[in-house]
Amino acid sequence: MTVTRPETEAAPAVSVSPSKEPKRFRLSNWDAKYTPYLIIAPFFVVFGIFGLYPLIYTAWVSLHDWQLIDGDQGFIGLDNYVKLFGDANFWNALFNTLSLFVLSTVPQLLAALGLAALLDRGLRGSAFWRAGVLLPNVISVAAVALVFAQFFGRDFGIVNFLLGFVGIDPIDWRAETWASHLAVSTMVMWRWTGYNALLYLAAMQSVPKDMYESATLDGAGRWRMFWSITVPSIRPTILFTVVTSTIGGLQLFAEPALFDPAFATSNSTGGSDRQFQTLVLYMYEKGFRLFDAGYAATVAWMLFLVVLVVAVINFTLTRRIAGKG
Amino acid sequence: MSRRLVGSAAATLAMVMVAGCGGGSQADGKIELSLGLFSDFGYDKLIEEYQASHSNIKIEQRKVKMEQHNTQLATQLAGGRGAADIVALEEGVVSQFRASKDKFVNLAEYGAKDLKDQWAGWKWNQGTADGGEFVLGLGTDMGSLGLCYRADLFAAAGLPTDRAEVAKLWPTWADYAKAADTFTAKTPNVKFVDTARNVYKAILDQTEEGYFAKDDSYIAEKNDKVKTAFDQAAALGTKQQTGALEPFSQDWNVALKQGSFATTTCPAWALALIKAGAGDAAAGKWDVTTAPGGGGNWGGSFLAVPKQGKHPKEAYELAKWLTAPEQQKRIFKETGNLPSQPKVYQDAEVQATVNEYFNKAPVGQIFATSAESLKPTYRGTKDSKVGPVFGTALTRVEQGKQSAAEAWTQALKEATDAAK
Repeated sequence: MTVTRPETEAAPAVSVSPSKEPKRFRLSNWDAKYTPYLIIAPFFVVFGIFGLYPLIYTAWVSLHDWQLIDGDQGFIGLDNYVKLFGDANFWNALFNTLSLFVLSTVPQLLAALGLAALLDRGLRGSAFWRAGVLLPNVISVAAVALVFAQFFGRDFGIVNFLLGFVGIDPIDWRAETWASHLAVSTMVMWRWTGYNALLYLAAMQSVPKDMYESATLDGAGRWRMFWSITVPSIRPTILFTVVTSTIGGLQLFAEPALFDPAFATSNSTGGSDRQFQTLVLYMYEKGFRLFDAGYAATVAWMLFLVVLVVAVINFTLTRRIAGKG
Repeated sequence: MSRRLVGSAAATLAMVMVAGCGGGSQADGKIELSLGLFSDFGYDKLIEEYQASHSNIKIEQRKVKMEQHNTQLATQLAGGRGAADIVALEEGVVSQFRASKDKFVNLAEYGAKDLKDQWAGWKWNQGTADGGEFVLGLGTDMGSLGLCYRADLFAAAGLPTDRAEVAKLWPTWADYAKAADTFTAKTPNVKFVDTARNVYKAILDQTEEGYFAKDDSYIAEKNDKVKTAFDQAAALGTKQQTGALEPFSQDWNVALKQGSFATTTCPAWALALIKAGAGDAAAGKWDVTTAPGGGGNWGGSFLAVPKQGKHPKEAYELAKWLTAPEQQKRIFKETGNLPSQPKVYQDAEVQATVNEYFNKAPVGQIFATSAESLKPTYRGTKDSKVGPVFGTALTRVEQGKQSAAEAWTQALKEATDAAK
């Protein structure tokens, strides 16, 4: 120790220009410069293989008449896209996707915010409650969808049974557009509210407590403190959840698919008149039921663009709203 | 990174990932064969036996739901790997896979043509292509039509309960509709039939040409038989005489258990599904009789060998054994799946078979008689794409979303698109 110490301390003093740096130092310099890239490289390699490559390949497929089993049947340029824009079923699926997204995401994030605020107030047995809200998210989506599909059964469903007590006639949850959207949204909300609440909670706990103290001294109520201190302070987290919910919400598949009893037994189109067929369900129908891979790839690319656009809109909107507080 | 490199890297990764479920030769020197099936083919015991007599063969069964099976098979054929060594092709989709026959082994190469006479002629033809030169699959069971009814619910509605008299009640589907009216008038809270879709399918399966003519041209819009079948089924839906259920779904099972419908079309293979859904409590309440309108075929499958498998010869031998007359007879006795071979269903023992659960109905005789008189429907290459469109149209009628005429117009438009 006593021998090496002066040496290392002397090193910076000796160095005059970078070219005259000792070899060891240059190496560590190189190390500092490139190691971070090396460390994040696996992500980008995996992303390249499983993200970028399929994305580009899908674009390539969408420019062809491509049958699932028999493969490429020739280049057709933008024909698939032209057909898509005139396809009423595509617009219907887009409408359903956006409707389900709004119906499930907006109440979900608001509920998550409220839930997080409650959890933040130091309940007794807080660990239990916090783990509890995450439970719905841990359960497999297939199980959730199957149970909810039973709840919303037309003849023997528990929801209709309960509605009967308040004098509402049984609803055929799968037949009507609004009813089916409501049912599917409920599923999504049940699964994701707790997850988002925990994210909000984590952010809330890092808000400095003295801000609340001084606000209390100034006579602010809980409600005012929540909107003026808590929400603006956790803005980055809100932005994050809005973007991830947008991506997840627009790619909705399992919930509406399993809500349709036809999915497992015959050829599902998301309801008898495509009442709850989302874009991904439509893509599935085209690609894996009708084996038109080229057209399915076109739907996939449009979905990608829609997600991109909606995510950017949401990002800007939320930043503005949360920023005003 | 070049595209090829990415491609090979992806392929390597994919190989690593599927290695766990891949078939092929095992370390112990046994040839491993996989069987890709849906629902119950009744092969469990037969496979054990085959393994015992062929010590070098190990067989693995993969069972998934039918729709999933078809989709999976399509992607596996497209990807060139992952398909089982032997796959089941259902009658409704066999024509679709026939169009991609280059992905399958021509079983004629292994001498399958010598087996031709085992099967009913139409069954053999459905599994072949190129005028019989290409043998795609060997027939398993067939789905000759019967009609199942709840005798206790019939009694409550003042209808006859004896199966011979019930058969006299409905020589045609129009008579069946009349029986529905009588039934509904007496017991309005019970549905006469589970779903209009199965009635429609059954009526259509009694004609020789449905959506496609025998030259594979699309004729749905000008074929009166399609329209008639649709109208007859839709009328039941309009009058709310159907349960508007998705056939064979969970809801359908619940309805069976609750006894909320009185009749259902039943091809031979459906008996097992009804029994499973209705449970022991309904034993002896369900019965089987002749379907209105004569014989017809709905369902039944084929065993085919995808080209990507490593052991086509061994796979063929197994498929040949599983579909041989002796085995078909045993399967019938065990599961009720009707043999697709006249010699077998005419066999005295098969004819004498009764089904205890279905009030000791002589199912061997009922289904074999139906099999004798049936005219198989020609299935076009795109049949499996066109058919479901009319099914969902009938659901719209049952749900009260559309009139029969509106549903028909929309279905016809969608079907024409699908047939393109």
